[in-house]
Amino acid sequence: MGMIQLDAYVLLVSGQDRYSFLDGLSTNKVDCSCSTVLTTTNAKIIDVLDVIEVGENLAVVGYGPYKEAVLNHLQPRILQQDVTIRDITSINNVYVSTEEPHQQQGLTISQSYLGWLVVASVKNPLKGTMSEAEFTDYRTRQLIPYPEFEISPNVHPFNCGLHHLVHEAKGCYIGQEVLTRMRSRDKMGKQLVQVPSGAQDATSNGTEFALAIRRI
Amino acid sequence: MDCGTCETAPTIEVIQPKVVDVSLTITEKAIEMLTDAFGDDRSHALLVGVLSGGCSGYMYDLQIVESTDIDCQEIEVSGFRVLVPNASSHLLDGIEVDYVDRLMGGGFKINNPNASSSCGCGESFA
Repeated sequence: MGMIQLDAYVLLVSGQDRYSFLDGLSTNKVDCSCSTVLTTTNAKIIDVLDVIEVGENLAVVGYGPYKEAVLNHLQPRILQQDVTIRDITSINNVYVSTEEPHQQQGLTISQSYLGWLVVASVKNPLKGTMSEAEFTDYRTRQLIPYPEFEISPNVHPFNCGLHHLVHEAKGCYIGQEVLTRMRSRDKMGKQLVQVPSGAQDATSNGTEFALAIRRI
Repeated sequence: MDCGTCETAPTIEVIQPKVVDVSLTITEKAIEMLTDAFGDDRSHALLVGVLSGGCSGYMYDLQIVESTDIDCQEIEVSGFRVLVPNASSHLLDGIEVDYVDRLMGGGFKINNPNASSSCGCGESFA
């Protein structure tokens, strides 16, 4: 369908302990580029992160308005680990593409829960080819949640269709006890579902489909 | 991605908690177990640290080390050298190092008055 620019922040995480630091605080196994979720001890979402390997660093891309909450969560937990975080939001733009983009010099491309994530320098901005309505239409067809529509601090990853970002066998992380109990008892609460467009409880409305969080 | 200038981007300021002069105690049972582990060699030290992670956010890190590059304060407790990283001193002041002898979930345990909650296995706290 196309490409759209996102309201996103980009943090650069450096240091020998960069993988273990992010892995110990999020739901997915962070040993390569991946999407993962930061959760509270009650397993409520702080933000959904895309972690991208960039040379000796990890770029962490998240939803712009949640940046402060993420930093407040990460900063106090850098204790004796070799981890440095830099905010490189102002020098990069973030886009999501519904199809795999062609590799070009200066573009960092990674698969994300949203589609294909593209990070480009602000000096070389890309042209958006998809409107917000078209992006919402794409999300409702593919059952993809998005911050402030389905993803919020009031829900846990199972509520908003992010089961695939909760690793079943990795070790402890914040919120793991709650999520593991929910999964093992098969009591995962409300679920993200695709419903006809215009449904009363729709969280996102596309032309044909909508998304809703319902008890099923 | 613009990484040519990444190194010049400002580092996010890490909130550095105040370094606290740590006092800690070790129970008799834990001293017995440490005596078994160390033998007569007192050149090594018990490093009691905290890492991020675990179910509750912070995870205890116990190691027997000869020396460390970590910025630590050294305390002597019952003839043992104990090293506590300054970066996590605010989380460890007043702790009791205990040893629980049971078939499941046994081993060294930390009783921490600074912890508002801890996970089921006792390895992490908030």
